[in-house]
Amino acid sequence: MKKRIISAMLITAMAAAMTAGCGTKEEAPATETAAESGTEEAVKLEDDTDAPESEAAGAEKSGDTFTVGFDQDFPPMGFVGEDGEFTGFDLELAAEVAKRLDKEIVYQPIAWDAKDMELESGTIDCIWNGFTMNGREDSYTWSEPYMKNNQVFVVKADAGISTKEDLAGKVVDVQTDSSAEAALKEDEELMNSFGQLVTVADYNTAFMDLESGAVDAIAMDDVVASYQIEQRQVDFVVLDETLAAEEYGVGFKLGNEELRDQVQDALKEMAADGTLAEISDKWFGKDITTIGK
Amino acid sequence: MDYGMMLSKLAGGMLTTVAIFGLTLLFSMPLGMAVAFGRMSKNKLIRNITKIYISIMRGTPLMLQVMVVYFGRYYLLGLQLTSSYRFIAVIIGFSLNYAAYFAEIYRGGIESMPVGQYEAAALLGYTKGQTFLRIILPQVIKRIIPSVTNEVITLVKDTSLAMVIAVSEMFTIAKALASSSTSMIPYVAAGIFYYVFNFLVAWAMEKIEHKLSYYR
Repeated sequence: MKKRIISAMLITAMAAAMTAGCGTKEEAPATETAAESGTEEAVKLEDDTDAPESEAAGAEKSGDTFTVGFDQDFPPMGFVGEDGEFTGFDLELAAEVAKRLDKEIVYQPIAWDAKDMELESGTIDCIWNGFTMNGREDSYTWSEPYMKNNQVFVVKADAGISTKEDLAGKVVDVQTDSSAEAALKEDEELMNSFGQLVTVADYNTAFMDLESGAVDAIAMDDVVASYQIEQRQVDFVVLDETLAAEEYGVGFKLGNEELRDQVQDALKEMAADGTLAEISDKWFGKDITTIGK
Repeated sequence: MDYGMMLSKLAGGMLTTVAIFGLTLLFSMPLGMAVAFGRMSKNKLIRNITKIYISIMRGTPLMLQVMVVYFGRYYLLGLQLTSSYRFIAVIIGFSLNYAAYFAEIYRGGIESMPVGQYEAAALLGYTKGQTFLRIILPQVIKRIIPSVTNEVITLVKDTSLAMVIAVSEMFTIAKALASSSTSMIPYVAAGIFYYVFNFLVAWAMEKIEHKLSYYR
């Protein structure tokens, strides 16, 4: 009898949790708190680990927050800093913009290959993460480009590779769904000359591959490559011949012009009063931004 | 990056991992029992529906199922997604998936019970419910513990799949730390955390097995 009661309770708890997940928009906060109190411990634990975002969870849809989606394995644009908090050039720009728009900044790390779904479903307001505009102009509502970048090849210094031709027959890494991958797909001749094109989920894996000799080159963003090479203090070089020249922008959901315009204006302000140059100086030693120039 | 900070971040992630683990077990084990009964039911409709459910849950990647549960709420049901739904979606996806596996384990255990048990119970005047709860189930539990231990240990490691909808469990944090500090040490630490946790789980299951083997 006791076991029956317990199993009945468990089944009800489970059913409640599932229906909570499927409540209507208005009911959602209420039913979620019901499920949350049932799984109180779990939510508290979640709060401990995602403190910044759960604080804003209540105000999320009321326009008080500015949620930036980023790949947390992408220094120096967005990564986990020495103090354990999210930091990065792009994240700092976003925080400054949020301050000027009187919104609370929320850093939401996402899986890079799920970025489109996250943006479309509204869990993030924008993608701001060394996000290349070229090739994606029609898929997002873009801000003005704020930085120039090149897609380059990173190789070991002693590999004897100095031009794109030398890459023939070699194994090359790219990140899934990155602009390097897209650029290579456009340059079919070059891509076909490779021995093999390997896609990885993040650049840490790519660098491990390169260090260990599993691959001969990585096709990636110049800005990130330089930072990584300096950080890891390894004997890597960036080839002089670039793969593609491109620009970074902030990507919003297609049609979200209102937010884009607000962020745009804030960025222009920052360019005018020198904050943009200041932040760029801090991260890269010089001002490499392009707004207002 | 100093080790103290790294360990405290990983420990925080471990809490999320343990939470996913605990809640998934809490929901999937009873659900698995219900599905097992459905699978063994005499009613053809129920049996077939459960067969299809088990087939889909075991036949598609867990990562995909978690994404469907999370993004499906927006794309299929048209409802807004919230931050807290990420964790809930992980639990729902994991529970549904593991329930299918547990259902098959339970069914294997139950169907391996000799018919003689049922006959003896009927002779002694037990009702069907009593037969199941008092005679069959204790024996089934003893028989399926090794399989259940397998599933439970697999679950501990499968929690890392929550990263696909950006739930910050321990492996995601280890990845982020490794990227920013450009060293392998966070991965080593993560491996040790997982191993210690699995060791505790395996040890606990062995103790349970030992306690239940009262006839040997």
